[in-house]
Amino acid sequence: MKYVLKKVLSCIITLFIVSLLVFVAFSLIPGDPALSRLGTNATEAALASLRHQMGLDRPLAVRYFEWLASAIRGDFGKSYSYSMTVTSMIADKLPITLTLMLYSMVLMVIISVPLGVYASYKEGTAIDKVIQIINQITMAIPPFFSGILITLIFGMTLKMFTPGGFVSVKISPSRFFGFMFFPSLAIALPKSAMVLNLLYSSLNAEKKKDYVRTAYSRGNKSKTVFFGHMLKNASIPTITFLGMALADMIAGSIIIEQVFGIPGLGRILLTSIQNRDYPVVIAIIMLIACVVIVSNLLVDIIYKLVDPRVKD
Amino acid sequence: MEKLLHVEDLNIEFHDHLIPETVVFDFDLDMECGEIVGLVGESGSGKSMSALAIAGLLSRHDMKKRGTIRFEGKDILDCPRSELRDLQGDEICMIFQEPLTSLNPVKKIGWQVEESLKIHTQMTPLERKERALKALADVELDDPERVYDSYPHELSGGMRQRVMIAAATIGNPKLLIADEPTTALDVTVQSQIVELLKKINKEKNTAILFISHDLSLVSQLCHRVLVMKNGYVVEAGDVKTIFESPKEEYTKKLISAIPKCEKVKDDTDDIENMVEVRDVCVSFTRKNGRKKETVDVLKHVSIDIREGEILGLVGESGCGKSTLAKTIIGLQKPDSGTITQKYPNTQMIFQDPYGSLNPARKVGLIMEEPIRNLTDMSPEDRRRLAEEMITKVGLGVEYLSRYPSELSGGQRQRVCIATALMLRPRLIIADEPVSALDVTIQAEVLKLMDKLHKDMGISFLFISHDLRVVHQMCDRILVMKSGVIVEQGYRSEIYEHPKHEYTKELLKSAGLTNISV
Amino acid sequence: MKQKKISFNLILGSVLLAVTLVPALIGLIWTPYDPEAMNSSLKLAGVSIRHIYGCDNFGRDIFSRIMAGSGITLLIAVGTVAFGSIIGTAIGAFTGYFGGIIDEALMRINDVALAFPSLLLALVMVSLLGTGKYQVMLALGIAFVPSYARIVRSEYIRIKNLDYVKAARLAGASDLRIMFVHILPNTRTVLLSSVMIGFNNAILAEAGLSFLGIGVQPPDASLGRMLSEAQAYMFTNAGYVLFTGCTIVMIILGFSLLSKEIK
Repeated sequence: MKYVLKKVLSCIITLFIVSLLVFVAFSLIPGDPALSRLGTNATEAALASLRHQMGLDRPLAVRYFEWLASAIRGDFGKSYSYSMTVTSMIADKLPITLTLMLYSMVLMVIISVPLGVYASYKEGTAIDKVIQIINQITMAIPPFFSGILITLIFGMTLKMFTPGGFVSVKISPSRFFGFMFFPSLAIALPKSAMVLNLLYSSLNAEKKKDYVRTAYSRGNKSKTVFFGHMLKNASIPTITFLGMALADMIAGSIIIEQVFGIPGLGRILLTSIQNRDYPVVIAIIMLIACVVIVSNLLVDIIYKLVDPRVKD
Repeated sequence: MEKLLHVEDLNIEFHDHLIPETVVFDFDLDMECGEIVGLVGESGSGKSMSALAIAGLLSRHDMKKRGTIRFEGKDILDCPRSELRDLQGDEICMIFQEPLTSLNPVKKIGWQVEESLKIHTQMTPLERKERALKALADVELDDPERVYDSYPHELSGGMRQRVMIAAATIGNPKLLIADEPTTALDVTVQSQIVELLKKINKEKNTAILFISHDLSLVSQLCHRVLVMKNGYVVEAGDVKTIFESPKEEYTKKLISAIPKCEKVKDDTDDIENMVEVRDVCVSFTRKNGRKKETVDVLKHVSIDIREGEILGLVGESGCGKSTLAKTIIGLQKPDSGTITQKYPNTQMIFQDPYGSLNPARKVGLIMEEPIRNLTDMSPEDRRRLAEEMITKVGLGVEYLSRYPSELSGGQRQRVCIATALMLRPRLIIADEPVSALDVTIQAEVLKLMDKLHKDMGISFLFISHDLRVVHQMCDRILVMKSGVIVEQGYRSEIYEHPKHEYTKELLKSAGLTNISV
Repeated sequence: MKQKKISFNLILGSVLLAVTLVPALIGLIWTPYDPEAMNSSLKLAGVSIRHIYGCDNFGRDIFSRIMAGSGITLLIAVGTVAFGSIIGTAIGAFTGYFGGIIDEALMRINDVALAFPSLLLALVMVSLLGTGKYQVMLALGIAFVPSYARIVRSEYIRIKNLDYVKAARLAGASDLRIMFVHILPNTRTVLLSSVMIGFNNAILAEAGLSFLGIGVQPPDASLGRMLSEAQAYMFTNAGYVLFTGCTIVMIILGFSLLSKEIK
């Protein structure tokens, strides 16, 4: 319990540092948001009044703490480009991206763990080598290209889904989840290959450890040694990687949303970056930071449950 | 009656390279119930391979075994693994060198101790727990209940090896194979483990195959000995015969490499001090989570090193002897106290010859480094000096252009000594300089150090945990425990009339109690 | 006699890199057609003898464009890895060797940065620095610094406690000499394999950014940028997407096979 509290505290501190860095970085960018909004022929008076209205004329520290105070309440200010609050722009997009992320996480675990364990169990056989070759190739496919390949194969050739035919969950949950399977698969495939590779090599590394020899010397069956002794030890590095993979999935989602035409966070992030709509960019980065940090927290907790050597 | 173990013409080959490599040739061994047999040899002699083959643990596909291994008449070399499994953990058990890695890090001790019962008996969990607690108590662990619920990393090295023994003997096996079970442990713990093995042998009549490179341990424990070299058994017989009248050259060499502890006369002349350490304290702060702990490593230590002597410093790992060495040489700043040195350029030799030479640099460059940094000698002169020093330690000039990875452990340690000689020091601090080496190599390096002492008049501060080596080398001895010098005196005083309890315990562990007059 | 078998990975890796990198290098000085020359009669033309990979939506020769595009992609990868590894090594060496408060503070920031996927860091950097090939190089380079710093730092922490470093100190070597003459050469295996992996990550990240339209800007063609253009026409000329995508896959596969060998 103490361990969890400690980790939560450290997460909050990290989040605070991230927010500070991000806010300061975006405030120090050359370029005047007021100028870019009104255009170059705006009068100095109009610019000054807009700056005042946007709160840009006050000290950085004041602006940061005001922003932080309202951000904690879920209010990220107003967009520069649209006359909308940032929160309302993001609110209905976030669930879509999160669904995509979790969906691909689940697919990744389902694909990689059984195959990795199986390949290591059958180390040296033909089936192991086939899995290794396919895995090696899959690992080299960037997520956006896997998205394109899946569209070509499952969408165009096999007609299993309509490319670009995103359906909102409000209209039809079954069609929503049916469509989302394919982009999730596109994200999950390359990552599964990495998890498979890691699990496979850490299982193979465990085979050479002394305690495995001890287990054999007690008359255990190979199966018991593999599943009863090695699997838990080998899962420790894999768990750490799953945390990082979760963070990578959110980056993957941003790209894959472009390939499959999904109206998620990725699209607003990109347009906001191009429009220099910083309140939106900052808000989305902070949201992603939250997701990443919370997933790392979960990993730390699972880690503690699996490995008794982790100190409080 | 059937022999307990009968091994005949055992050959083991590796097949992972193009040409097969044989590591064990024509190995023969017979063991009776309740017998303790020692298997002695240096690293790479094939002793562990033979033991693993007997335990049925050499089943890698790149390995071929030929010959016969019978356990109570049953062929266990060629039988299927399913039949072998019935014996493993039940009749034949094994303990290994490194108890930490030999235990599964994520399973509780209790689970691991009980495991062979789970496999070989129909006991209920409650019965198993009872047996496990008894087994843990039998190996003289305090508070078996607590140990039962611990994880391996929560125990000390000695406790872990006791746990391994408990797990191996819980089913009362007929044969216990112990592969270097004391090598990774401190000297006082070593003798406790040997005592424990003796007790188990007596109480349960378990036969023990004891594999070790340490002849003195073997002579304390075993009834019979096999000496192995390069895969061959070169000599076999009962302990007394082998130790008193060895036939083979190699056995003689091994035995003579054990430092002798004969009575000697001490030099008692008063000589000037070359190093004076006065009232030195060193403490480390260790971070334990948020809390900071202060550990006092050296507590008000005062010592003298006299001109031209070899001063021994003994103690177990963690007692602060290496820290004292580092403090004298200036790698560690003392919190308080003073160190006065009469001569500059005191040098140091480290324990691990594999870690103390930079793998990315050639020997010549390594040797020239101190001259390059500290003097303005020309490159040609530096080179000439390096050539002179490397011949002094018995290596050819051609070694200067080799990388450390091309050298053996003994050669590396010679290079370290040669490097230390470059600045022509009057004192060399040698921190466990031979404990990482095989016993015959040990003897050679010690001989070299003795020669340098006599020919060049170099003094040594010789740090070691091995009381036999210290006895052979040193004129005067300091005994250290938990950061305090508990006893100091001439060799004869320390070895024949130890005053402090701890010194007596150390001598007893090393089997040196009987040399007192 | 010990002899090592010639590795399958080594051969396949070298072959893959040869068929992708040699055209890329040639593409720096010569391409069969001008990669920018448009020809409306050849719009989205399929595979033919004259245009072995076909033509894109402006009738430009895809093979020539891939040659030129791989060149830019590789240039960015080299720049990124060079920037990231040099700065990262310097930071890692100093923090690992000296430790202390600066080390703690920098590693704290480093942990935060590492928690983010590198593509996302690059996105942030691009939004700060703007788009274009040199901006992308700098953005990715900065985004890569933390991972190199961490790897090098842990190597320095490991090595600085080894006896040969103590011996070097006793031999009177200065801190800088110990850091760069004694320790640095011993980090080469770790550094080399992370440079290889970094190279792959850089190619992936550049392709990702350009695919999203915020990386390399026209008229420069990079593989990622071409892929995003090709995606729009994948139903009419699938060859465009496949040839471009497979080039990326081959480069990455080649490097990862080689880096496996180095380990």
